[in-house]
Amino acid sequence: MVDHTHKAFDTDLQDLGRMVSEMGGLAEQQISDAIDALDRRDTVVAQRVIAGDARIDALQREIEEKAILTIARRQPMAVDLREVVGALRISNDLERIGDLAKNISKRVVVIDAEFRSQRVMRGVEHMAEMVLQQIKTVLDAYARRDLQKAQEVWHADEEVDSVNNSLFRELLTYMMEDPRNIGICIHLLFCAKNIERMGDHATNIAETVYYMIEGRPLVDERPKGDTTSSTVVPFDA
Amino acid sequence: MTSMDVSVGNGGTGANGNGVHGNGPHSVPTPIAGNRVLEGDLDEKVAVRGVNFYYGDNKALKDITVPLYDRRVTAFIGPSGCGKSTLLRILNRIYDLYPNQRAEGEVLLDGDNILSPSQDINLLRARIGMVFQKPTPFPMSIYENIAFGIRLYERLSKSDLDGRVETALRRAALWNEVKDKMHANGLSLSGGQQQRLCIARTVAVRPDVILLDEPCSALDPISTAKIEELIDELKTEYTIAIVTHNMQQAARVSDFTAFMYLGEMVEFDTTSKMFTSPVDKRTQDYITGRFG
Amino acid sequence: MAIKNPNLYRSRRAVNATVMAMSVGATVIGLGWLVLVLGALLWNGFGSLSLQVFTEMTPPPGSAGGLLNPIVGSLMMSIVAIAVGTPVGILAGTYMAEYGRYSYLASVVRFINDILLSAPSIVIGLFIYEVVVRPLGHFSGLAGALALAVLVVPVVVRTTEDMLLTVPKELREAATSLGMPRSHVIAHVSYRAARAGIVTGVLLAVARISGETAPLLFTALNNQFFSTDMNAPLASLPVVIFQFAMSPYADWQKLAWAGALIITFAVLALSISARALSAARRAQ
Repeated sequence: MVDHTHKAFDTDLQDLGRMVSEMGGLAEQQISDAIDALDRRDTVVAQRVIAGDARIDALQREIEEKAILTIARRQPMAVDLREVVGALRISNDLERIGDLAKNISKRVVVIDAEFRSQRVMRGVEHMAEMVLQQIKTVLDAYARRDLQKAQEVWHADEEVDSVNNSLFRELLTYMMEDPRNIGICIHLLFCAKNIERMGDHATNIAETVYYMIEGRPLVDERPKGDTTSSTVVPFDA
Repeated sequence: MTSMDVSVGNGGTGANGNGVHGNGPHSVPTPIAGNRVLEGDLDEKVAVRGVNFYYGDNKALKDITVPLYDRRVTAFIGPSGCGKSTLLRILNRIYDLYPNQRAEGEVLLDGDNILSPSQDINLLRARIGMVFQKPTPFPMSIYENIAFGIRLYERLSKSDLDGRVETALRRAALWNEVKDKMHANGLSLSGGQQQRLCIARTVAVRPDVILLDEPCSALDPISTAKIEELIDELKTEYTIAIVTHNMQQAARVSDFTAFMYLGEMVEFDTTSKMFTSPVDKRTQDYITGRFG
Repeated sequence: MAIKNPNLYRSRRAVNATVMAMSVGATVIGLGWLVLVLGALLWNGFGSLSLQVFTEMTPPPGSAGGLLNPIVGSLMMSIVAIAVGTPVGILAGTYMAEYGRYSYLASVVRFINDILLSAPSIVIGLFIYEVVVRPLGHFSGLAGALALAVLVVPVVVRTTEDMLLTVPKELREAATSLGMPRSHVIAHVSYRAARAGIVTGVLLAVARISGETAPLLFTALNNQFFSTDMNAPLASLPVVIFQFAMSPYADWQKLAWAGALIITFAVLALSISARALSAARRAQ
């Protein structure tokens, strides 16, 4: 795109984009560390993730300040306005993703019971990988203003939801089998839910990227595969 | 937070992008739920249809088609020399004052072509008022500035006339500042007050349409804000067209925006759409300050 | 800023000083003559001035008298000339500035008017002599007034047109935008805005004609006696000054000085009021 007549405006927008990308990189790292900690019950890594969230929060505040200042000083219009608003929204989503990673790590610290279900752990891991990939793709879409990739992410959310649904059923079954499993299963249930939410934020970011490029919202019916809120397992044991 | 909490761009920004783009045939933007601009009936008060304009041999406007909706504000933006002021000057045929200036096409006011030779131009101008960039109070008292226009077409008693003058000044938010010096010369007022006096003078003759040609470009920010507040007030009764170099002003006061470039109508749409996601690249470049 | 080339700077200063000295010198020479003229006029005229000058008729040589008849004659002819010339001038100027601004006719009129403005006044006198005096068979105050009116017209046309052209076009457009017909715009807006300027033009025209001698010689001639008959020869100050100053009689010469002083002061007063008016206009 052609430069602004007033060059400092371009610098402002570039800075904003760079800060969002940096924040995205940090968020990715936090997720993979949190999942790693959960998988290996590594409280040291978990503590590091918990401490690392502060950096993400700080970046979010910086982006917010920068965006507000840009609005006040430059009165951006059209594509520029969408750019600034996009940075604000994406940084919000990334901040929430960071919080969710932190929440998973907190649960790692408190889980003490021994529970080994390969299927459940693989399920959680698989879901985490999918979501991580989603986030990577959407940040890539943001950096390159890639409409195609943003739309891919948007449509891929369904898969994450269906993995989450089957995990939910499985964990319910474990809990019914043996009430001693309930504590840890609930923690895992929340971890799964957190990961699923991260996927939702990735979808939000995809929508924002789409809006930034196209100037109009993605209007199709949003993929909605999470049926856990209406799932019942008959208690007939 | 559920997955439905965040949705992007769900405001009333004219999502379907169905405004006019280029010189193609005209369509009325489709009303969108929650869009204040498009609520109620959209009545096309003035219809500019395929208008060309010439300064001598120089073609200044090329096939302009644009609507002015009743009780809405339409802003015309574009770089200097794009023809936006020229277009405004066609609407009340003020260009008639100058030889060698010539308009072709149709401008319909409530369905009647005002460019037709049979149009009585003085009556037309009484229906389509105009306020200029430079405040132009007449060299007479504040009272006379306003009463003068009224007397042209109406014979009123002294008390009725006083009432009309007061109403016009109140309408222009100037009454409180001048009520004690109605017989002072209009030129003794400050620039912002003079411009509001000119607006009062225009309103006093009860036109249907008010044309504002860069009304704030010579004013300070406070006076500008007062005029903008006034425009919001006036649009409850009048059809308003404003030419402005200040894009923020167009964004603040207008319901519809038309972008013109090199004598062409590049894009016309709701202001909310034009300033968030214009369709034409030239509009985008102009609005975001990337021109040339 | 440091001076990079002191020599260049010094020579520039020298040139500056020389040019300024020459300009001041020229101004002193020009103004000096004016001061001398005014000085001679005051010196000779003031001594001859008395109440008698304003109350008595022009005397035969050797006896006492005043300038009452030429003062009255001059006033009468000037008033008639202004009364005839001003409306014509203002209307013509209005046509050129308002109606015919872009027309061919207006530019032709403007050209002719400029010629008339600089035409020698004696030519005007001869013209009126041919057109009025000869057909009527006698000199008259009316013919004199007409000759002066012909001098008034171009001045008023020019100032009216110029002053109307200075009325901003936005003001005209604003008035037109209210639905005002053109005649209203001119009468109520343009004239009002240009009023002081137009009045200044008329005063300048008065100043111009009050000293004219040449056109009166062929038209109003002169009159030794008090007369208010415009259909008969009429005395006027410039002609009387011309006649008396050329005469060998000392008392006539004294009266000529007094008359010259009266005209000069009258013109001066008019010029000052014209200045004051246009200053008031600018202050608006």
